Amino acid sequence: MRSLSYCLSLLLAAAAQASSLSIQNGRVTVSSSDATQLSSEQLSLDPGSLPSLSLGPTDTLKLTFQVVEKDGGKGVQPHQTFLRFEADGEEGVQPVRVTSGGKAKFELDGPKVDLGVVLRRPNHMFRDWRFQDILNNMARPPVSLPPTSTSPVKVSLLLGSYKHSPASLDLFTVSVPASVPAPADPFAPLPEITHTFRPEQKVPPKFISAVFSAIVLAPWVVLLGLWSTLRYSVPHLFSPHVIPFVSSLAAFEGLLLWYWIDLKLGQVLLYGALLGMVTLLTGKQALGAAGDWRVGKKQS
Amino acid sequence: MAGPKASSTAARPASSSSAGDSSAIQSLWRTYNDTTPSRLKLVDCFLVFLMLSGIAQFLYCILVTNFPFNAFLAGFGSCVGQFVLTASLRAQVNPENRAEFKEVSPERAFADFALGSIVLHFFVFNFLG
Repeated sequence: MRSLSYCLSLLLAAAAQASSLSIQNGRVTVSSSDATQLSSEQLSLDPGSLPSLSLGPTDTLKLTFQVVEKDGGKGVQPHQTFLRFEADGEEGVQPVRVTSGGKAKFELDGPKVDLGVVLRRPNHMFRDWRFQDILNNMARPPVSLPPTSTSPVKVSLLLGSYKHSPASLDLFTVSVPASVPAPADPFAPLPEITHTFRPEQKVPPKFISAVFSAIVLAPWVVLLGLWSTLRYSVPHLFSPHVIPFVSSLAAFEGLLLWYWIDLKLGQVLLYGALLGMVTLLTGKQALGAAGDWRVGKKQS
Repeated sequence: MAGPKASSTAARPASSSSAGDSSAIQSLWRTYNDTTPSRLKLVDCFLVFLMLSGIAQFLYCILVTNFPFNAFLAGFGSCVGQFVLTASLRAQVNPENRAEFKEVSPERAFADFALGSIVLHFFVFNFLG
């Protein structure tokens, strides 16, 4: 408690003997992209006649000054140094590095974007820009620069120090290109997304379908005709040994046809397993009988 | 109806080629007719049938449309698969190949053929849509 009051008294003493800060040798220069100096102004700190500059999209603004004590003229490094930009009631601050001798240098690049092009485009055209495209197309101004319209930006210097009373110095005004206006309603509904599908495949005309149906069915005529010319006899086909096997094979084909029309996979597998066992037995019987006939024929 | 068709398919290549070729083809055809057992001829007719219907479906797919493509796959695949199964059946039951298929009796070959055909037809009906 005692030490706190001591500190407080020390601070009060410091404030009482504090001298205020100012700058000298302030100069602001606007140069174009090819380093040609467009305008250069001495900073007078006279509130009545602040220099006013204009910064084009590709221009560079360079500000140099030295922070000094107002009465002594000695260079001072303040603890906090900020540039404050104010336009249309919006503001932004930018810290400035000051050397121990009080010298400071600050550069501001103009927004490197053809704002005319940006402004002439309807807003939704930027939706399909990738973020990288936007970055490539505009070197954005520093975030400390507030959004601007046609009115110039007021630039002032804020100095803070433990040893000196704080200072706020109006430096100059600068006209910068207007910012891209914010969209009126950023959450407005986007245009409806419409999908395009491949057109439906068409069935060929009825005539062609009929002709090719006939062509595809024609081999059946060939098959039946050739078989009828062979006159091959199947004496055992309707014998009681063979007919169960043939009919169970036919039942299998019928089951598959039924599967195509109606059945589910699980059903057809179940029925197929049952029918398979039946077919196994009948097949063993039928083919065994056939083998016997063959061997018997051979022996005889 | 089928008789003249069969003879015409046999005669057509013979008439269009030179005399030596035609006699060779004629003797080939005669030998086939004379020496092939009729049950193998039965299988051969089925092979011809499968080949013709496969070709017809493929022509339709190329010339007109492949629109129900699953149906084309099912039909063409059944023709090709059945051809392969039938050809292997024919190879196994051919008496001239008895030496190479000593362990496989014709009955066993037919059982294989029936099983393979049923499995093939199961997949074909799955594709049919």
